[in-house]
Amino acid sequence: MLSLCRYLLYLYPTAHRLEYGEEMVAVLHERQAESWDSGVVARWVFWAREIAGLLCGALREHVLATTGLHSWVEFRLRRFSMRSEFRFPKATGWLMLVILAAVVMAIEKAKAISASLPDTHPYVGPIQPAQFSVIATFAVVFVAGCVIGAVGWAVLFALRRSGVQRLSELRLR
Amino acid sequence: MEALPLSEPVLLILLSLAERPRHGYSILKNVEEVSDGRVRLSTGTLYGAIRRLLDGGWIERFKEDDSPRGRQAYRLTARGRQILRQEVSRMKQLTRVASLCMAPKET
Repeated sequence: MLSLCRYLLYLYPTAHRLEYGEEMVAVLHERQAESWDSGVVARWVFWAREIAGLLCGALREHVLATTGLHSWVEFRLRRFSMRSEFRFPKATGWLMLVILAAVVMAIEKAKAISASLPDTHPYVGPIQPAQFSVIATFAVVFVAGCVIGAVGWAVLFALRRSGVQRLSELRLR
Repeated sequence: MEALPLSEPVLLILLSLAERPRHGYSILKNVEEVSDGRVRLSTGTLYGAIRRLLDGGWIERFKEDDSPRGRQAYRLTARGRQILRQEVSRMKQLTRVASLCMAPKET
């Protein structure tokens, strides 16, 4: 289990792993020695908690490193107060209204054109729904999940490569 | 009164370091002991909190002379101690108000 936890440390950002990895392994080692005195169930609960903690911790560190929220204090404050750079711009609201008006106008125009044309098309009949097998459905869901995951990872990777997470550390003179 | 109220794990970590400098395992044991076994931090959670407390300047690394490899002690900074005092003061006031509200009223 300790070996598994060592591998899980590789899920952390490199900087975090280099800074705290050795300490974390030392603490896990001491806790493992302590857990030998407890029962089998307690030991499994202990390892489940440790593994869940490492997985959640790795995810949290990646999110914090990507979003640039390096300070825990800042993280807590941001949950309750929006900062100026994250305000929803008023111009976006107006732009959305203009787009909505354009879409409504396009629909009305299409209806008018449709009404003006003579009805010369033959009756097509009801459209039959496509039949999906269970395996095909699972395959489609799996592929869609992989694609969404890959896109999410690519976005996080691009943000990290762009150095956007370091913007909050800049000190303007 | 920034960043208050503190979450319970963070408050317990700061309290354990208020007593004396401690390393990771000692913090975990102390948190568990102080909370009567109610709060059991995982190693990942502890080091996530430690990193953010270090970044915020609430705690700092403490060099121990006879520290074995892989063991790093931490201690409260003046800023961390001030925040802890503010939080304790806030909790005292809250407890006082709660006691007044819940006290049986004389008719």
